[in-house]
Amino acid sequence: MTSPSESIVLKGGSVLVTGATGDIGRAIVTECVQAGAAVFAAGRNDEKLDALVHQFEKRVTPLNYDVTDEKAVKEAFRHIQKHQNQSNVGPLMGLVNCAGIMEEAALSVNTMDGLKNQLNVNFLAPYQHMQLASRLMARHRHGSIVNIVSQVGELGANGMSAYGASKAALTGATKSLAKELAAIGIRVNAIAPGFVDTELTRHFEPEARAKIEDRIAMKRVGRAGDVARAVVFLLSRQSAYTTGHVLPVDGLFCP
Amino acid sequence: MDNQQKLVQSFVQALGVEEGQVTDQLTYNTIKEWDSTAHMILISEIENTFDVMLDTDDIIDMSTVAKAKEILANYDISF
Repeated sequence: MTSPSESIVLKGGSVLVTGATGDIGRAIVTECVQAGAAVFAAGRNDEKLDALVHQFEKRVTPLNYDVTDEKAVKEAFRHIQKHQNQSNVGPLMGLVNCAGIMEEAALSVNTMDGLKNQLNVNFLAPYQHMQLASRLMARHRHGSIVNIVSQVGELGANGMSAYGASKAALTGATKSLAKELAAIGIRVNAIAPGFVDTELTRHFEPEARAKIEDRIAMKRVGRAGDVARAVVFLLSRQSAYTTGHVLPVDGLFCP
Repeated sequence: MDNQQKLVQSFVQALGVEEGQVTDQLTYNTIKEWDSTAHMILISEIENTFDVMLDTDDIIDMSTVAKAKEILANYDISF
């Protein structure tokens, strides 16, 4: 059972969540609001953003922009800069880089455009978000950044070299920025989900899915909520002495 | 408080130096208080004080107090 103090671990601040309209993103927004944070929810689907706003009333501010559009990202942060001091919002204390894409392709058929596209969304966009968020956090000498990477980036996977490389790049930035930003009170961690039941993985045939489950020590695939609760832990002061860490949320996947 | 005083206070807050040390000639990396970490906090203070969001090139170029004024002038802040 959650105690009252545990349920408000993010109270008094705001969190920007990118990819907020995906399954994992929505779960992260939900957990952050329930933990007491105001949330800037970034996504591309107006209908899904509106649903989040409707569900959480004044706790969610929608931001519809393309994370790979440098100018749009800057405008989004300008909006956050202007609104974070409102009494019902609070200073930006958290960033969750959740927006991502996954394209499977063998080396022989992987196009350079496909590779660049995944690097843009999965690495360059989170990097720019960290650059701008850390400036807002620096003034308060306090903040927590959580990057959603992947066990594919940590362990590798057949046919996923481009995706794995893009996520591994983000893991590398996570570890270096944790060292760079520690001096100003900003922690940088990552979560590496394994196989999670989302829109991206629902196309798997039952047989393929069963094979994957067999390789997971906990014998079930992950749920979006499993990832979201780990994100809130890394955002909150409950992990105040943890930085530069990649936390697998994979039920112990055994490749 | 005029813009000159606001800028001086931003440097004082971010670098932890005395007001008298904040002259136009004060230069990045020439005093121990203005290192790369303090530079980031300084940018954060300036952005908050003057309600602007600086371009990365401007952050790189902001190497003296005089240069900071020159850059902020491009954001319609006069000294």
